[in-house]
Amino acid sequence: MSAEMANEIKLISGRSHPELSEKIAKRLGIEVARTISLNYSNQETSFTVGESVRDEDVFIVQSTATGDVNEGLMELLIMISACRTASARRITAVIPNFPYARQDKKDKSRAPISARLVANMLQTAGANHIVTVDLHASQVSFFSVPVDNLYAEPSFLRYIRENFKTEDCVIVSPDAGGAKRATSIADHLNTAFALIHKERPRPNVVGRMVLVGNVEDKIAILVDDMADTCGTLVKAAAVLKENGAKSVLALVTHGILSGNAIETLNSSVLEALVVTNTVPLGDKVERCPKLRVIDISPTLAEAIRRTHNGESVSYLFNHAPV
Amino acid sequence: MRGTLVFAGSSCPELTDKICQNLGMARADAELTQFSNGETSVRILTSVREKDVFVVQSGSDKINDTIMELLIMISACKGGSANKITAVLPYFPYSRQSKKKSHRGAITARLLANLMDVAGVKHVVTVDLHASQMQGFFKCPVDNLHAEPLIARWIRRNVPEWQEAVVVSKNAGGTKRVTSLADALKLNFGMVTTDKRRGPSMAPSVIGYSLDGLERHPVLDAISNQVRNTTLSDSENGNPATNNGRSQDSRAAADVQGSPRLRANGTHSRNPANHKTPPSRSQTILSQSSVIDELDEEAEADELEYNDRRAHEVTHGRLVQGHVVPDDFPSSAASVADTSVPEEDPMAMSHASSFFGPQPHALGGSGDAGESSDEEDDLRNPKVEHMITLVGDVKDRTVLIVDDMIDKPGSWIAAAETVVKRGRAKKVYCIATHGVFGGDCLEQMQACDCIDTIVVTNSHPISEDKARNASKLVVLDLSFLLAEAIRRNHYGESMSPLFQHVMD
Repeated sequence: MSAEMANEIKLISGRSHPELSEKIAKRLGIEVARTISLNYSNQETSFTVGESVRDEDVFIVQSTATGDVNEGLMELLIMISACRTASARRITAVIPNFPYARQDKKDKSRAPISARLVANMLQTAGANHIVTVDLHASQVSFFSVPVDNLYAEPSFLRYIRENFKTEDCVIVSPDAGGAKRATSIADHLNTAFALIHKERPRPNVVGRMVLVGNVEDKIAILVDDMADTCGTLVKAAAVLKENGAKSVLALVTHGILSGNAIETLNSSVLEALVVTNTVPLGDKVERCPKLRVIDISPTLAEAIRRTHNGESVSYLFNHAPV
Repeated sequence: MRGTLVFAGSSCPELTDKICQNLGMARADAELTQFSNGETSVRILTSVREKDVFVVQSGSDKINDTIMELLIMISACKGGSANKITAVLPYFPYSRQSKKKSHRGAITARLLANLMDVAGVKHVVTVDLHASQMQGFFKCPVDNLHAEPLIARWIRRNVPEWQEAVVVSKNAGGTKRVTSLADALKLNFGMVTTDKRRGPSMAPSVIGYSLDGLERHPVLDAISNQVRNTTLSDSENGNPATNNGRSQDSRAAADVQGSPRLRANGTHSRNPANHKTPPSRSQTILSQSSVIDELDEEAEADELEYNDRRAHEVTHGRLVQGHVVPDDFPSSAASVADTSVPEEDPMAMSHASSFFGPQPHALGGSGDAGESSDEEDDLRNPKVEHMITLVGDVKDRTVLIVDDMIDKPGSWIAAAETVVKRGRAKKVYCIATHGVFGGDCLEQMQACDCIDTIVVTNSHPISEDKARNASKLVVLDLSFLLAEAIRRNHYGESMSPLFQHVMD
């Protein structure tokens, strides 16, 4: 396709995670589109695209910064809406860290299913396609537009293979819900697997924990989809240590790290917390020497390229581009 | 009321409590918190099954959180099998972004309407939408209530000699709203309009265009030049424009009044004895407000086509960095571009449209209220000097400057300074429905000597800290209006009486 033809990739970045957008753009060999995002004095968000998007294939990258979830979400919706009114051919929302992902069921009387609301809102704003990372399968079905749910797993597998002898490792799921994710990694690495059962009286509060499996003299690798206040991970790490693990580290897709997460981590027995850069980490890497970051942007960039060219994305489910 | 629940969003529990008091019921119980990662959590603590649910939410400093909370509350009530969910939004967020102001900008108000629809709202009650066309954004019915009767009643009861007051619009876009209030109170009407001053040869006089649509008097051009000359030469004595302008104006007025068009319009009951204020003027402006709207938007084109002409009672002033300056103030626009203040003002950076086009309203075609309070932005730009024009006689009178919301102080202060320093008004009331008061707006208006009183309703919450230090601030209570709207909605009664003025 010649450069003059319309329907090129237009990469638009929200304000929540410009570093990730830059990395994706660099990988794709394009520039991030010029835009202006700002807040009025009454904090209403205003957004303008600085270049034509008519008939272009628009990809909007917006993560959600910890603490500013609604700000990021509203900005994303406004960005989608602006591109829609500016006659973009297709609008793909690239949301590495899907907001409200945990509020996906009516677990109490009259509890809102906010994840479904967000899905509906994105479609109402005009998104034609969603690209995200490690979203629960149940939430993918909230959408009536195509959703490409990418996995951090290939990146994790590579990280483990590059840094440890796989036969020394045991993959541990910190809760029953994550058992499938952990067994999948254990199968790929051909290692042992363990599980921690926990009682959770309230969200973000961790109860008693019981280890199922053997971690003695092994490197225990906890695997989860998000680390928020890190209470679960730290307690799980303590349980693993008590059960004779040589060292404990955690591999987590979304490092939300809200509240006192950094302090909790610093004072824990956890040797390292490895996260991807789906969530902007700000100064947390400096504040927490245990925090290590895997760059997910090659996977996202490749997904964007393949989506744009109409190629299959399934390759990315098992391979992490370098 | 049986079968009704009123929930309060976190932005306006006080207003909701007042509404509930009016309805003789208690606010329904809901727990509104945030998770530690910033996601909004809503728990509806009472059964909503088959209930008529009203969710009251206004604006706040964290407007996007407020909106998400509203949407999640609506969604939760819908999921809890509520019969009908009504969103009561005394202040409609994003209502100023109701059209594409710049290329590829978003129509966020429409987006918000769609989002509320998808969340499950079945009816919307709001107050004084910035642009009434926004009602069309919704698939569900919208009741756009008016605070005007409330404000009019307050004026009749609290403004001394209100019968002699003049209602002034601080920009051309808001004239419709202002004429409506002037009509209700049977008051005279004036207007302040600002123009970018691009060079010394240009004499912007927007109102002039509306008056010379049919015939042109080349003589008057000479007069207007004369006015300009006298104004400039007399600039030492502080306030020359009105004095010298007046003597010249009377000639102009005689001429203009001779035109048959104006005589046709010139029927007005109030102030027949006042020679200096031929009521025909106000009436003319009033009846042509829509023309003015369009002219404002196409001002640039018109300047090329029409001759400049000064109408009677037109007072000009110079506006530098948002303040009216004496005529001998060193001009930045006329001489070298920006010698006076090279420093970049952050206020000027606060609007997207100013980045992409010199005419932010070039695309806005509605000619309705849309523009008002949008044109604030380059008032503070030190590089641009504005010509501010006051139309109408406000000398020794009380002036009521009216718009739909007070967010940024710039245009209010500029208008107040113009009517006081140039028009020699006696007192200035700044009146608006929504007291948004972004940033240090309230402090700045409080500090402005030309503003005597600021009147808003409680549609938008005003923090106690701010209100405590603002002795000029008067807050009118909307809760009765909203409660009545809720009651009438629930019982299926007509809303029309709420729009009528009650004389007392």
